[in-house]
Amino acid sequence: MRVDPFYVAVNLSGALDQTQATQQQLSQELSSGLRVSTIGTDPVAAAQNVTLLNSVDQDDSFTQTTSLTQGQLQVTDSTLGSVVTQLNQALSLADEANNGTLNSTDLKSISNQLSGIRDEVLSLANTAYQGVYLFGGSQTSGAPFTLDSSTSPATVTYNGNSDVNTLVAPTGQSIQLNIPGNQVFTAATANVLGTLNSLVADYANGTAGSGVADTTALNSALNYVSQQRVTIDNSIGQLTDASGAATEQGTQLTTVQTDLMQADFASVSTQYSLAQSQQTALISVITALGQGSLFNKL
Amino acid sequence: MGTISSAINLITSALNADQAALDVTSNNVSNASNEAYTREVPNWSENQPIYINGEAIGSGVTVTGGVSQRDRVLDQRLDQQQQLSASSTSLLSALTTLQDNFTPASSSSTTGDIGTDITNFFDTYTTLESAPSNDADRQAVLSSATTLASDISRTAASLNAQQASLDQSATTVVSQVNTLTTALAQVNQQIQSTSPNSDAGVLEDERQSDLSQLSQLIGINQVTTEQNGMSVTTTGGQLLASEGTAIPITSGDVDGVTHFYLGQTDITSALASGGGQIGGILTARDQSIPTTLASLDQLAYGIATNINTVNNAGTDLDGDNGNAGNIFNAPTQVAGSAAALTVVMTDPNKIAAAGIGDGTGDNSNAVAAANLAKQNIIGGETPSNFYSNLVSTLGSSVSETTTENTALTASVTQLQTQVSSLSGVSLDDEASNLELFQRAYQAASQVFSILNTVYASAINIGVETAVS
Repeated sequence: MRVDPFYVAVNLSGALDQTQATQQQLSQELSSGLRVSTIGTDPVAAAQNVTLLNSVDQDDSFTQTTSLTQGQLQVTDSTLGSVVTQLNQALSLADEANNGTLNSTDLKSISNQLSGIRDEVLSLANTAYQGVYLFGGSQTSGAPFTLDSSTSPATVTYNGNSDVNTLVAPTGQSIQLNIPGNQVFTAATANVLGTLNSLVADYANGTAGSGVADTTALNSALNYVSQQRVTIDNSIGQLTDASGAATEQGTQLTTVQTDLMQADFASVSTQYSLAQSQQTALISVITALGQGSLFNKL
Repeated sequence: MGTISSAINLITSALNADQAALDVTSNNVSNASNEAYTREVPNWSENQPIYINGEAIGSGVTVTGGVSQRDRVLDQRLDQQQQLSASSTSLLSALTTLQDNFTPASSSSTTGDIGTDITNFFDTYTTLESAPSNDADRQAVLSSATTLASDISRTAASLNAQQASLDQSATTVVSQVNTLTTALAQVNQQIQSTSPNSDAGVLEDERQSDLSQLSQLIGINQVTTEQNGMSVTTTGGQLLASEGTAIPITSGDVDGVTHFYLGQTDITSALASGGGQIGGILTARDQSIPTTLASLDQLAYGIATNINTVNNAGTDLDGDNGNAGNIFNAPTQVAGSAAALTVVMTDPNKIAAAGIGDGTGDNSNAVAAANLAKQNIIGGETPSNFYSNLVSTLGSSVSETTTENTALTASVTQLQTQVSSLSGVSLDDEASNLELFQRAYQAASQVFSILNTVYASAINIGVETAVS
């Protein structure tokens, strides 16, 4: 039977080229550390890589956002805490005024002190965090509360709105970021500023006036503010939990993504050394077979 | 009874025959490295015997030349496999270039990756939710939009450029095909006039070489016609060359893409599925690239129109209610929107983060924009999943073509071996033939000397002066 005279030149050298190409590809995998360096190498893995990185990036970005948002919520919470402190002071002053043992000078003095507390609460209601007014609803560029002292009792005007902003976590959870000022400070059922203004007016001319009724109202207002504070505390908790969950998921998915795309160094090294020995073997075969023909012997 | 002179003639014919056989052998040896050459075997034919008184007396041997050892069926099979293999190779080369536009990102290297850009863009809206009036966060939305638009448009431009370059290659291949079909027609004519009934030897080698080159460039069907002629058609059935006539393929521009014609028929799509280098080139140009480009266009169009709609359905920082403006340029149609995608908004205050009628510190429109990332706004998928599908479709086609190419290359090599075994020159064979013919020549010349001596003796019978 006849033999292909071009076998060494065509087939074997073709096989030699193939082993060299394999070695090149394997050494590239070793140096880059990536098993999948082109989408054609493993299309399914490449597609999964896109969705995994998408989730990882979302989680990372959310974690960064929450650290900024936490600051705003903390400031809101501590502001409300200060308001509660002020209101407690106001209550004890009012109780003192209502017990009937004080004279008109003392009552006027209490009125002045209550006025100071009202101013303090007003300023707390107009707190801004990094240029954003916290209690204006979505009208955050100007102070939400203005005071008109020309009337008696003084009137407080709310310039904000009732808008509530939420932050959406990667899980889809909505977290409340603010409480509108008209809900905290001038709610119809528990009007903090209104009640304070009434009390100031009550004791201003040295008599108790309707101080008792207004003190009761102030008490409910204080309880109301404490309840509002719970909403913010919840948000802080939710945000911490969401951030923690996002970080954890991000870490897990990063591990999955790395495993998916990374080269298995042990198996690549083994394949590489196999390819090398194959190359050496092929070279010896080519050398042996290309030893000439009958013409050399004639 | 024979005569001495007839014996001498007989041996002379042997000497001539051996010499001719040696010529054939040396021709084989000189063409030993020529892969297009088909080895020849000397054709020995016994001369017609002469009948004298009913006795047959031999009159020697003639070598009528070399007979090429080829199997036309095997050659044709090899050509057909080469067509398929060449098509697969050129398609794979184009797809490899195409896939380089979509290298997988890793968490450490994300530059230029469209998937990452999509995620980052929607993430900037999530950040904006927490601080809607923050200028830095608004700037971040615009700059991530710019990165997304530039990566998409750059990729689309690269795809368009590759398409143009493939167009160029196709034209080059077609002109090579036309040259070959002309040469083939000429060889056909020569073969039909010089050896219409038998293998044409060197001319046939030339024809087979033309056919082999042709089948690597374009998919062809070969039909042998009468008087050793040949017709070549495309695999789609259009006539390229028939005996002495070659029909050139012409080209024309259709919507910026070169189409190819035989006579009046547009054969472009037939060529794409027909095999040969041009088959792979046209498949890449007319199917693979347009499919990917269409997906990119869908992605660009979907993101641009949806984001623009959301931005025009809110309130921006300047207080504009419902006409804040477009962030991306508004594409009029899906086709071409990827290459043209840019960011037209320059003022970050024009990003409408607030809802209609709400104060400027509201974030509900930013929430709506961020939510687009989770909605099936593009081809029934979220933007990220749509891109993931684009990657997987392209990657699968590269992977399939790679596998197919490896198999086809192996089968071509196998057939090549079979053809070479039959038609290749084996130096060992030629060396032993050389020895054989040389010894035969020596034997014949030895017989000649003896006959010469016998002739001299015959002349010298009964003569006083001797002749030697």
